[in-house]
Amino acid sequence: MVTSQSDADLVEKILDGDEDAFSRLYDAYHPRVYATAYRIVQDMAEAQDATQEIFIKLYRSLADWDSRKAKFSTWLYRMAVNHAIDCWRTRQRRPQSSQDPASDREALPEHTLGEAILTPFSALEKRESIDRIRSCVAELPELQKKVFMLRYFHEMKLEEIADMEDCSLGTIKTSLFRATHAVRRAVRRAGGTQ
Amino acid sequence: MKRHASRHFSEEELLMHFLQEETADVERQISSHLKECTECHAIFREYGDLVGRIQAWPVPEIPEQAAQSRKAVLLAQYRRDMASGRSEGIVPFLHDILVRAWNQALEHPLPTLCYVAVAVAFALERTISTFRLDRILPGASEVIQILRQVF
Repeated sequence: MVTSQSDADLVEKILDGDEDAFSRLYDAYHPRVYATAYRIVQDMAEAQDATQEIFIKLYRSLADWDSRKAKFSTWLYRMAVNHAIDCWRTRQRRPQSSQDPASDREALPEHTLGEAILTPFSALEKRESIDRIRSCVAELPELQKKVFMLRYFHEMKLEEIADMEDCSLGTIKTSLFRATHAVRRAVRRAGGTQ
Repeated sequence: MKRHASRHFSEEELLMHFLQEETADVERQISSHLKECTECHAIFREYGDLVGRIQAWPVPEIPEQAAQSRKAVLLAQYRRDMASGRSEGIVPFLHDILVRAWNQALEHPLPTLCYVAVAVAFALERTISTFRLDRILPGASEVIQILRQVF
């Protein structure tokens, strides 16, 4: 298993209590962990809380990481996806708050506004298909959601995910296909395909 | 539409081909089929376009100040935990085990319910026979008989 030397070094230092090493690890992985959490819980504030909890969980269980079994990033992203799904599950059990996922759109990058001015229809269509994707992903069963996130946003190979989840490669392939197919149907309903 | 000699491929196979998740042999078969079948090629392209859309899913940026203050809180927590040697001791160890068991139970509710039912039945049978509750409680001896038959 290939793990970058710098990750292994950082992990060792963090276990020894080196705060600077933990800070560097946080800077390196925080954006992708936050993006994963956001795409699963679909709420900016909760995604930030989840990210915080993931990093706490990370240093508390760092001694369990075995570099022969998994790359550090693989191990971390799996933990991130699992924790975000737990948060999402807890959120589902809670009575609905007034928080509308659409309100996070205000915080989306500025270029989407620029696009809207230049090509209003395609920007609108793009936004609508993103909305369809996010609501469809929210409804996916947990395994499908996990495989979807790890494959499309962390570029993990399906074989690697199968090993990690202790499932057959066939199960993982089917899960990814079902998830993608569901998203395709949702996007089509929105008229998002050519 | 062009005529094609090989079989059509399923949508799943076409998606896996797009993601380069097939074996070299299957990859070759699908590649040559796609050159001659416009139908499969259209589905293949549609999945390619869809994967592009999925990967373009934007994430709102955290304002710099909020990001910095969250990082500071996290580092302070790390410092406290390291100072108190949180990773050692029986309490955090038991806490971790309970959390893992709880997560497992949530992931696999049916087997968990079965284990719990068996454990409760076993404990009930042991309690009734150890404390001879069948002498005090009416019907307890019937319960114990049923439980013994089950196990």
